[in-house]
Amino acid sequence: MYSVIVVPPSNGIGDGQIRLGAGERVEFGRARRRNGLAIAHEGVPRIAGEITAHRTFWLLSNLSEDQTYVVENPEGAGEHIKVAPGRVDAPVPFEFSRVTLPAAGDLLSFDVWAPRHTFRSVERSGLAGSATVPAFALDRTKRYFAVLAVLCERRLRGEPSAPLPAVEEIVERLRPSWPKVTRSAVYWNIDYLAVKLRLRPGPDEAEPGRRVHGKKESLVSLALRFDLVREDDLVVLTPVPSGAPR
Amino acid sequence: MTGRPYATPVPKGYRLGAWEVREPLASGAFATVYHAVRHTADGGGLPRRAALKFLPTGTRAPRQPHHLRDLAEREVRLLRRLRSPRLIRMYDTLTVDDPGRPELDGATVLVLERAEESLDAVLDRSPVPEAGAALLAQICEGLHQLHHAGWVHGDLKPANVLLMADGSARLADFNTAAELEGTHAYAPAFATPDYTPPELLWPEIDERGTRVRPSADIWAFGVLAHVVLTGSFPFPGGTTEARDDAALRYVRGTEELRLSPGLPEKWREIVRDCLAPTHEGRAADTAALLRRVERAAGTAHPPRPPRLKLRRWRRLAALVTVLSALELAGSGVAYTALRDEAPAAHTPPTCEKPAVFKDPAHGLGYTAGQNGTWDFTIEQGDGGGQVREVQCLLGHLHGFTEAGDVHGDFGPRTHRAVVTFQERAGLAADGTVDPATWRALRKAR
Repeated sequence: MYSVIVVPPSNGIGDGQIRLGAGERVEFGRARRRNGLAIAHEGVPRIAGEITAHRTFWLLSNLSEDQTYVVENPEGAGEHIKVAPGRVDAPVPFEFSRVTLPAAGDLLSFDVWAPRHTFRSVERSGLAGSATVPAFALDRTKRYFAVLAVLCERRLRGEPSAPLPAVEEIVERLRPSWPKVTRSAVYWNIDYLAVKLRLRPGPDEAEPGRRVHGKKESLVSLALRFDLVREDDLVVLTPVPSGAPR
Repeated sequence: MTGRPYATPVPKGYRLGAWEVREPLASGAFATVYHAVRHTADGGGLPRRAALKFLPTGTRAPRQPHHLRDLAEREVRLLRRLRSPRLIRMYDTLTVDDPGRPELDGATVLVLERAEESLDAVLDRSPVPEAGAALLAQICEGLHQLHHAGWVHGDLKPANVLLMADGSARLADFNTAAELEGTHAYAPAFATPDYTPPELLWPEIDERGTRVRPSADIWAFGVLAHVVLTGSFPFPGGTTEARDDAALRYVRGTEELRLSPGLPEKWREIVRDCLAPTHEGRAADTAALLRRVERAAGTAHPPRPPRLKLRRWRRLAALVTVLSALELAGSGVAYTALRDEAPAAHTPPTCEKPAVFKDPAHGLGYTAGQNGTWDFTIEQGDGGGQVREVQCLLGHLHGFTEAGDVHGDFGPRTHRAVVTFQERAGLAADGTVDPATWRALRKAR
């Protein structure tokens, strides 16, 4: 079982991703190595650094002589950490990270996801014994949670058989709280949710046209069945203006 | 996030059907369990004390937990269909109809057999209980009964093992249980990470839930055995996350399994086989596993007791007579005194040393620690813990040396011994151990 996914530069979900289990490591740099992440740029050292999956998070080693690497949380409003040259095994706390390497005037970046971040209920503390916990851990402050909330909204507001919103409708619904939202950002978050929840593909998702719709349906049934999103979670969305169609 | 404990406050003295709620006993991820006593004079077969398990399934309960209904249904479905001596017994199910209390209205209530405490509470007090091996044999027997009936427990851990007044163990908490469909069952995606096999720590899922195999319970049993026998988890680490991580490295083959040096030699192979890295490698045949566990625990073929001990039983028997008299006089003190002397979890009765405990429904009686039933009817051809219990009681309490060895198979010799016992006790001598025969076998003389 992996806990960290390294996404090569300019890559969608699926292609060329490197999945690391706890304790596994991958090197990145100019050198093309087996099981390594190649960054084709003359300004990048042959071996520029190393990523190690540790439990549910990951560690970054900066193996360059003189470049500081920046790891940024793309959803974190500028939240970032700096890893100085030579620093080994710096822990990275973000679920989504963009690693940026300066290289001869250019900035190169690739992404690392840590979808297995776990959350504990504070209400559980004080109870004896090992707790029975859900297999899922969604972060309610993340954009994927807002996307899931929009997908489930109508059904949670008392229309159990309402059709699912189309991607355009999801974009419109999210725009007030997330001005830069795009169709592809929504698709990306739906795909990421399927990865994070380890959704088993349904039989009808083999046809290309059915793929996104089938994934949306599966996510919504799963979320409603296991209460991943409840009516009181809809506060992550801006209130619906009275009289406006939902 | 889900997984918040759904503590359901029920006021003391609250009445529900034949029951009056008393103090809370335990609170878990999904339910709260209360002690309750029957307030009606005519029990209609119901015991005087019970445990009421409240699952807030009402539509007006806070947070409207949809999945709780599914979890409640799972437990009810299992307990309605399975009645096994090593599984906690359900007497009834009720639904709260009390619109005045929105937090309670619509709650599903399971009326369950009242246990003394959970194995978790015992481990809190004494991390390596003396009775550990014997309890593990009983837990394994429960697992065997469950798997044999085609169910997977899905959340085996100390908190879900209950100990009865006679010191015997029963499996409880079937909210995550699932019935097998071929090789898999669909379980709700809840687990206790320290007892979850690595392949289910981050499981694939679809609308029906996660796919589990019986081997998930076997892994949990391996962890449980290590915990009960050594007081520590089999994987190193100070936190659940660290231990899960160690388990993952072990199944990936980057680290070997290092069991505690305190784990007795005869258990090492059992625990190792339960904790096989892949589900195919695990000791999935619970019948075979049970035989190995019983051998390791020394409960399968108990050696004939040395002569010396006979006297102690007689003394104990005399003590019991006095206690019975006290009990007749309506004193509850006797039971307390007896329990203080022999706390159930520390010195449980054994085959060769049956001891007296109080059964909530049947009063004082002997048990040989193999099985706590007073009414599970068995006859020639049957096998299992109930048969061992009869053989132990006949051989070591009633002096029927001709009852044969204690092996759990109800053969002709056991049949003949039962017939003779029934004749002497003035019962219908048909060789069938029915409730009346159980009573005669157990009653303190």
